[in-house]
Amino acid sequence: MNCVWVGTMTVQEVRVEVTPLQTEGMRDVLGDVVQRQLFADHGVDVGKVRSIRGYLIRSNYTAEQIDAHVQDIFSDPIIEYGATNTSLLEDQTFFPQPPSLTVTVGFKPGVTDNPGAAANDGFKVLFPEGESSISTYISYAFLELHDGIDHAWVASTLFNGLIEKSILTTREQLETNQAMSLTYPERPTIERQVPSIINLEVSDDELLRLSTEGLLALNLNEMQTIRDHYRDETTRGARSAVGISPDSPTDVELECLAQTWSEHCKHKIFASKIHHIDTETNEDTTIDSLFKTHIMKPTHDMAKEVDWLLSVFHDNSGVIAWNDDWSICMKAETHNSPSALDPYGGAMTGIVGVNRDILGTGLGARPIANTDVFCFGPPDWSGELPSTLFHPSRVLRGVHAGVRVGGNESGIPTINGSIVFDERYIGKPLVYCGTVGLMPRKLADGRESHEKNPTPGDLVYMVGGRVGSDGIHGATFSSLELTDESPSSAVQIGDPITQKKMMDMLLEARDACLITCTTDNGAGGLSSSIGEMAEYTNGCEIDLGKVPLKQEGLSSWEILVSESQERMTVAVSPKDRDAFEALAHLHEVEATQVATFTDTGYFHVKHGEETVAYLPITFLHDGVPQLELESEWIPPHHEAFVPPSELNQTTLLTEMLARPNIASKETWVRQYDHEVIAQTVVKPFVGVERDGPGDAGLIAPIHGDSQGLVVSCGIAPRYSDIDAGAMVAASIDEAVRNAVCVGVDIDKMAGLDNFCWPDPIESEKTPDGKFKLAQLVRANRELERVCRAYRLPCVSGKDSMKNDYGVWPNKISIPPTMLFSLFGNQPDVRKTATSNFKHHGERIYLVGMTHNELGASEVAFHLRERGDANGIGGQVPLLENPSEQLEVYRKLSNCIQSGLIRTAHDCSEGGLAVALAEMCIGGRCGAFIDIDGIGTGDAFTRLWSESLGRIVVSVEAEHELAFVEMMEGADIHLIGMVSSSSELLIEDGYDTLIQADVEELTQSWKGALDMTGAIE
Amino acid sequence: MSQEVKVCVLFGFGINCDRETAAVFEMVGGVSERVHVNRLVQGERTLSEFDILAVPGGFSFGDHLGSGRLLGNRLRFALREQLQQFVTDGKPIIGICNGFQALVKTGLLPGPADASLEPDLIQRASLTLNNTGRYEDRWVTLEFDPHSPCIWTKNIQRIECPVRHGEGRFVMPTEQDLDNLDNNHLLTVRYVDPTTPAGEGIQDELLSFPMSPNGSMRNIAGICDATGLVFGLMPHPEAFYSMWLHPEHTSMDLGENWEGEGLQIFRNAVEYVRSQR
Repeated sequence: MNCVWVGTMTVQEVRVEVTPLQTEGMRDVLGDVVQRQLFADHGVDVGKVRSIRGYLIRSNYTAEQIDAHVQDIFSDPIIEYGATNTSLLEDQTFFPQPPSLTVTVGFKPGVTDNPGAAANDGFKVLFPEGESSISTYISYAFLELHDGIDHAWVASTLFNGLIEKSILTTREQLETNQAMSLTYPERPTIERQVPSIINLEVSDDELLRLSTEGLLALNLNEMQTIRDHYRDETTRGARSAVGISPDSPTDVELECLAQTWSEHCKHKIFASKIHHIDTETNEDTTIDSLFKTHIMKPTHDMAKEVDWLLSVFHDNSGVIAWNDDWSICMKAETHNSPSALDPYGGAMTGIVGVNRDILGTGLGARPIANTDVFCFGPPDWSGELPSTLFHPSRVLRGVHAGVRVGGNESGIPTINGSIVFDERYIGKPLVYCGTVGLMPRKLADGRESHEKNPTPGDLVYMVGGRVGSDGIHGATFSSLELTDESPSSAVQIGDPITQKKMMDMLLEARDACLITCTTDNGAGGLSSSIGEMAEYTNGCEIDLGKVPLKQEGLSSWEILVSESQERMTVAVSPKDRDAFEALAHLHEVEATQVATFTDTGYFHVKHGEETVAYLPITFLHDGVPQLELESEWIPPHHEAFVPPSELNQTTLLTEMLARPNIASKETWVRQYDHEVIAQTVVKPFVGVERDGPGDAGLIAPIHGDSQGLVVSCGIAPRYSDIDAGAMVAASIDEAVRNAVCVGVDIDKMAGLDNFCWPDPIESEKTPDGKFKLAQLVRANRELERVCRAYRLPCVSGKDSMKNDYGVWPNKISIPPTMLFSLFGNQPDVRKTATSNFKHHGERIYLVGMTHNELGASEVAFHLRERGDANGIGGQVPLLENPSEQLEVYRKLSNCIQSGLIRTAHDCSEGGLAVALAEMCIGGRCGAFIDIDGIGTGDAFTRLWSESLGRIVVSVEAEHELAFVEMMEGADIHLIGMVSSSSELLIEDGYDTLIQADVEELTQSWKGALDMTGAIE
Repeated sequence: MSQEVKVCVLFGFGINCDRETAAVFEMVGGVSERVHVNRLVQGERTLSEFDILAVPGGFSFGDHLGSGRLLGNRLRFALREQLQQFVTDGKPIIGICNGFQALVKTGLLPGPADASLEPDLIQRASLTLNNTGRYEDRWVTLEFDPHSPCIWTKNIQRIECPVRHGEGRFVMPTEQDLDNLDNNHLLTVRYVDPTTPAGEGIQDELLSFPMSPNGSMRNIAGICDATGLVFGLMPHPEAFYSMWLHPEHTSMDLGENWEGEGLQIFRNAVEYVRSQR
């Protein structure tokens, strides 16, 4: 085939193709999956599909040499056939008749090719001489495609043009020998640009133009602040001394400041000064930083009252003392913009990215559990879709696959999560990924592992992957709204195995006491990671020339800010250099010293001998000017929700169970490994058929020890339509309720707030910015009120503030959304509860009061969509007295921890009716229920209202008295009994409201989001 | 000679069940050590220091090019002599999930037809994509061939434990290949219908999904070699070391007895090693 002369070595290119054998008992599952998914998602039957995997190998070895080992590396001798330099499509053994269409998909140059990297690793075991590289592709052969099916449409469902390329081959082309094949994705050679000097002594318009065209995402005030820095005489003197342009920034500096000062990294909106007006109360006030006022201050106040808050806010995740030997940390992140552009790659880098936050906490924690919460458009959406957006079902499949591969391959169980659907997430899906970490309180040398302690002179290593042009401008890009021109370089595919090797290595290094400081390389790349760590010693000196690159020719600024994945930055004392490097060698992990900590006060970046950036640490981190923003609350008007007077509530229950927001997500969640590490006590699915909903994840992370850790979440974006404050209160309460359902230790719970908002800064693009900011103000005030009352410190959080698509007036903004994640202690996992009803005769109690709170409820949205109601307006659920509520939760948790209660389930979307149905489904049993007297409002309200603070429990008759005594002072209502029938019967006094067969309810609940295409 | 039963638990390159696998051997009296594959390859350590070898589950090399294949290659090419010696010395080996896949692709399982033959490291079977095309985590019911020579499964009739794989479908080229293994009772463990009486669950006819989670030929969940010392299975018995890991433990009255059904497999091997001294 092709020969390329490089120096004195001949580089050969050899093609290997592999396809499943078609003998008795063998299957082509990859082909089957394509057929099934197209049917499930689009109702299109494309007929039989066969797959071929291709490898393009560049090495010093000939086709003959490689051919002898095809079965050792590329194809499985039992199930596959592989051949070199042969087009299997033209092999009549496998394709007696040429397929009517073949779609071949390969990667674009520079895109991470994990199978290619793994194949090359295997190749080198047998062919160790010289350099080699492998690129992969896959062909889907549609044997007999119906005439009416558009070829381009079929292809479009199989690849993403942003990162992949494809070739379509028709039967005619094969028959006339005109088939084309994919070639090796050649990176264009690039030449390193010497750092340029940017003149900022220009007009304001010109400053803004520099920011916009350079994707810097800096506003005028920020650009002026940077300009003024270079006017300072001291600055100029210091710069002259190191030989860098004294009065103007280099492009390296400007890029570095743009990353460090980005909304993504600096949370400028949460730190802003807000002038807030409330037209309801006539309040007119100024808030100096929502973050400091409503999040940080309450947590610091609570820290004075407990001894278990070890590290809050300043590190990559918040750390609590779990017991004398171990501490626990948790972090949640979002990866919304990348997931919109490439759902698979964007979501995968989301989950492996937050894993690195845990690995970068203190001196390194070990990730032990993941949580995933997604917000998507409706998967069966048939309305209009802007051409640059993916269909919600494709986003769902892609995001799910990315998170599945990222989590599973990393060996971290996904123990909790949720999927929420709303039309407005079509414009921007939300992909929340959380990770819990475990670390020893103390290392062998006595240092506390949650504290970093570098000293000047320590060596700074970049560990893991290399730096490439992928992932440039992620931080600034996520701080802009998504448009047609959004850059593809912001999209990356994760490489979980490279990261897993790095994780193994760094945890071993931590335990050998070799690490003095570590952090991950995420947004902003080395500029952020080394820049942040340099605050500890007050300075660093980096040599970009030492940084290992995926591709030669990257410019200094690109190396500094590239967000290429799978990298950690680690500081090591000089005396430990050899031990650290030996460990990296053992694990086959690349570790390169690229910097040294100093105490000069400067972030000093060199490329070889040349200084390319020289910024004071204080200016870099504290120089960004505070934003000043306007906020105005005018309550939104919604037409009141009035349910129709005649309704079959049994039918309504069946329909409600099939609502995507309520329906079982089992197909999706079961594909996550939720049990690796052998610690998961309450799994995502519970009950006799293991398909009832789990409320919270409960794990026992130390093998053989029954002390548990609860992980739960709450999310309620619908309530933002009426009041974003109520949305936040409901989210927090839901997370706590879920945790109570498995017996959390009320006195040791910590939370994470993850805000995802539409742009709340008023501008031409966002004329309703003041309202969106007022929503944020109300949200934060509720966060403080509820967290203080629940004594639930927020130990870490994140915000993503530009979740819009398109341009005003055709802009799609997400509903303001806050995910609240909770992690807390559980004293003994042997005493916990699950949501499924257990035995006939158990008494069923509703804990908590039901109020007329149907505003923005799931049933209101359902009936409006069905055309049976005009509006969703009304009272949203309120949490009027959280302090009292906490005491109810404490009593119930005590009942579970003492073994009295083994069945508990929270009431949320769809209210009491849905909660009871789910408990029957889990237990595959019926129940007799009477909802007379459980609260205010008519029967409809008591069935479907989403009032907070409510949990349904069942109790064995022998424990009933003790339960009632322990719950004294709380609102509890005996509402019925578990029956031996298979019927859920709900009455209101003498009126029968619902009479439903549990098997039918199960079908409805499980069928809606199955989406497997049903073929086995 | 030390009385300790030393267990080498491999890790590295994406193996990810090494911690719990090490833990369960400790629970039954073994002394476990997690050993990076490269420590053996580079000669810093040798397998001969150990009495038992465990190849845990995970996603070695991301399962690219077929699950377990690239790890299998590292073992087959870089540790060939050490592995052959370990088997020849009569020391037990277990491969779980990805470890099973690696042992099959290394050729250690099912191995040569006769126990007297040296392990030849020729691949004779495979584990391929589940018929559903999906990776799944779900609990299954397993039943063991009471006549199997497998030293790991003595006196175990039926247990539950989770499967967590996308490529667990056991296949061999011909029915004759399967018959040969079956006749020697090397098809050690099968997926069974939980409603059948214990001891009567094993059947060759394919069970429906999800009782058989992957569509394995003859519902095979795990096999052993002719010596009975090398054992591999797709399900994860180490993930059921305690009853609190059972999906329905909140419906059970367990009193003080919280040992999980999966532990006996590991205890059998540790006791076997002791019995040979």
